[in-house]
Amino acid sequence: MFKEFKSIFNINWIYVFVLFIIFWIGEINLYSAADGSLNPWASNQLIRFVFFLPLFFLIIMLEPKFIFNFAEFFLILVLIGLITTLIFGYTGMGATRWIRIAGFNLQVSEFTKIALVIFLAKYFHKLNAEKTIGLIKSILPLVVSILFFILVAIQPDLGTAVIILSLGLVVIFYAGIKLIYPLLSLGLILSISPILWTFLEPYQQNRIQIFLNPDLDPLGKGYHIIQSKIAIGSGGLKGNGFLEGSQSSLDFLPEKETDFVFAIFSEQFGFTGSILLISLFFIMFLIPVLKTYKLTQVFNKIILFVLSFKIFFEFLINISMTIGILPVVGVALPFMSYGGSSLLSNLLICALLLNFMSINENKRMFS
Amino acid sequence: MEKNKTSEDSIKILNRRSFIIIIFGAILSLIVSLRLFSLQVINFKFYKKKSVENKLSIKLTPPLRGDIYDSRKNLLAGSSSLYEFVVFKNLSKKHFQEIRKLDGLIKLNLNLDKISKQLKKYNDYSGFSLSRASWEQIVEFEKNKFLFNSIKIIESKKRYYPYQNFSQIIGYMGQTTQSSELYSQGVYHLEKSYEQHLRGIPGKIFSEVNAKGKIIREISIEKSIKGNDLDLTLDLTLQNYAQSQLPLDKKGSIVVISVSDGSILSMNSNPTFDAQIFEDRVNNKIKDLLKDDQKPLFNRAFSGFYPPGSVFKPISALVGLQRNLIDSQKEVFCKGHSSLGDRNYYCWKKEGHGKVNLKKAIKESCDVYFYELAKKINIDDIAGLSSNLGLNKEYDIGLSNLGKGLIPNKKWKKAFLDENWYQGETLITCIGQGYNQTSPLQLATLYSALLNGGKYPIPKLDKNAPTRFTGKLLNKEHKKIIINSLNAVVQEPRGTAHKLSISNPEFVKIGGKTGTSQVIRIKESEREDDQYKSKEIEERFKDHSVFVGYAPFDKPKYIASVIIENGGSGSAVAAPIAHKILDFAFKNNV
Repeated sequence: MFKEFKSIFNINWIYVFVLFIIFWIGEINLYSAADGSLNPWASNQLIRFVFFLPLFFLIIMLEPKFIFNFAEFFLILVLIGLITTLIFGYTGMGATRWIRIAGFNLQVSEFTKIALVIFLAKYFHKLNAEKTIGLIKSILPLVVSILFFILVAIQPDLGTAVIILSLGLVVIFYAGIKLIYPLLSLGLILSISPILWTFLEPYQQNRIQIFLNPDLDPLGKGYHIIQSKIAIGSGGLKGNGFLEGSQSSLDFLPEKETDFVFAIFSEQFGFTGSILLISLFFIMFLIPVLKTYKLTQVFNKIILFVLSFKIFFEFLINISMTIGILPVVGVALPFMSYGGSSLLSNLLICALLLNFMSINENKRMFS
Repeated sequence: MEKNKTSEDSIKILNRRSFIIIIFGAILSLIVSLRLFSLQVINFKFYKKKSVENKLSIKLTPPLRGDIYDSRKNLLAGSSSLYEFVVFKNLSKKHFQEIRKLDGLIKLNLNLDKISKQLKKYNDYSGFSLSRASWEQIVEFEKNKFLFNSIKIIESKKRYYPYQNFSQIIGYMGQTTQSSELYSQGVYHLEKSYEQHLRGIPGKIFSEVNAKGKIIREISIEKSIKGNDLDLTLDLTLQNYAQSQLPLDKKGSIVVISVSDGSILSMNSNPTFDAQIFEDRVNNKIKDLLKDDQKPLFNRAFSGFYPPGSVFKPISALVGLQRNLIDSQKEVFCKGHSSLGDRNYYCWKKEGHGKVNLKKAIKESCDVYFYELAKKINIDDIAGLSSNLGLNKEYDIGLSNLGKGLIPNKKWKKAFLDENWYQGETLITCIGQGYNQTSPLQLATLYSALLNGGKYPIPKLDKNAPTRFTGKLLNKEHKKIIINSLNAVVQEPRGTAHKLSISNPEFVKIGGKTGTSQVIRIKESEREDDQYKSKEIEERFKDHSVFVGYAPFDKPKYIASVIIENGGSGSAVAAPIAHKILDFAFKNNV
């Protein structure tokens, strides 16, 4: 089940380094979000991080074969988790997203992303004899992705649901579906989007409308976007400096420790800091991706590529929300937004990536 | 191993796809970066400004309003303390229950629905004023203070008017709807027209606030600057004395002006009101005041227009002299009436004045003399000279509801009544009846113009305003004839106001002219007859009693213009009042 202990020293230390830098930036940012205080966010987040570290190393040490073999099991586990959430879940802010396990509020949808990618990776690995994937072979992955999309969307948590569906589609695309199908379905979605609109909850429709024109409701729903843009814009080229963000310290920014944490960062560190952060996340995305070119096993490639993409994708979606180029749908900024489930699932993903980056494919792995 | 070979192609596809997705991610990053560039570099100033506006709160503190004084620095309008019930939302979550409790305990008669609506939008940390607090209410509140956490009594300033007799000149304050400022502004008379002068500059407290409006720290304070004071030409003692001389049961007005510079020394009207009730929000009194059909808000001195009656005659005489239609010697025989066409025009003295020259015509107010003159007069000359001597004009002295009145001419009649002018109307106009409409202030100004020889100072209320002269100079001989005649009215026997010299010989000697302004057309012969007032005519149809006089007659300093509505003849009612007031002004050297 586990690798030899010495293999822990063979992991990609550059990646670990980048991960720690990003996490520390997140910590500093939470510290400034609390107006120069470790309480309540920075210290909690650090405690969680330390608490999760054993699990992090445990995952690094897992035999990839074990993950391969249990792929379906993980998926069934999150399925049960999601159904339990819907029935017994804890409701907060109009949505039922959490279940209490051993004293922790767990957001199962975060882990759904990982389980779905693992499951689909195994599915396409088994099909790897085929050059390109036809429509028939894509039906099962598509159905599974949509099933989980729906289970999360009805919580309701549109942001996470969209990420889940996107990851499913990215796996299908990456695995080599004929290009004609994605293009066709894109056209189809665009043409039926007016009908989809009517299925959205009023608050979701509202968010999209206000995204298109925040001034519709400057003191209500549009307030978030307007204040976030003011925070970021007023940061300027160099930023206001550490702990000098007035939008943040005077509480003009709502949800500043979660969805709008980037605005706090950008107000203090400006355009320069923002570009540096984007570069860091891009580097973090590319390190596992570069490894995929040296690998031939479809399972390994999909795990490395898509899970690495997941972190970068969420990062881009989150900052796009805060600068007003995407509607505010509630996607956390990896390692920087305050929140246990998001931190845990991203740490698990990094552990998996570190694990798979040290794979030596000379050994026969999966049958 | 076979399986591995076939999969090599599919691996290539995966790598190609990975490349596409990386490009996709890079493009997304580029879009985000460009957007950040636009926000943080291109539009930096815009968002920086927004950010500063967000956190900066500017609270205005109302300035102290300038005081208003009479010409001897007696305070006529000032500021005094005022107490208000103010609610602070941040002090208690149950602030609305507390407001309800307060309303029940102290009977403030608050509009709770309205307050609830306004409060919802109100900043948690700024006090919201509920109502003024009287002393009794403050005492009651203090006894139950423990019940209220969010309500406090806050002191502010209100306008204070020590003398009610100035309300109709100074006006009052109120909340104007178009004003975004929370404090009140002048809305009537001088308080309104001198708003900018009196208002002062609000102080500013700049502070940093958080998103809820809570003040984090004060950045700087600019102190408010008190408004400028205003010195009036009015005299407190004269104004109060003149008011006491107005019969309480009659509507009327008295204006006293200075001959030399047009200063208005007093300007009274009856009935009057007390501006303080607007400041103190005595709502039932305000309601009564607005409903009162005696119109106490209306200052008859400049808003009341009446036919001037015989006090107008000097104008007709001057036109006659200017056009050489008469001279000081020319005589007319008054047999009690004059006829034009098939109509008779009566003199007030039915037995007639006999031989009448200009001086006698003015002194004894002979109507026939002026009828005969009027037959030759062009009405447009009358209108022209009237305007030149201060009638048919609105004076810009900062009062509300000023009017210009009316002196008719041919053009006016065509335009407003669509009729041609009849010479018969000239006859009526020349004795001050008919369409003529003048205010007591205008009549005072007319006599100032006569005494000044045609070039007269424009009336003023602002003591510090420069004296400005207007009008064309009259022929000196003409002026002398007219003034001599006016002096004779009081000083010589058979003058219509000669009685004044007899009954109060110790008073200052004056000149002037009586007038009786017709309300309805009763027999011409009944006018100016002292017997008249004893006749039983319904009060409201009685004539207005008019007198304009000046003192001392040989070296005029003061002019008093008096009208008593439905008072009867000018000589009987208005003239004695004017004499007393001129004497008061002269003796007190106002």
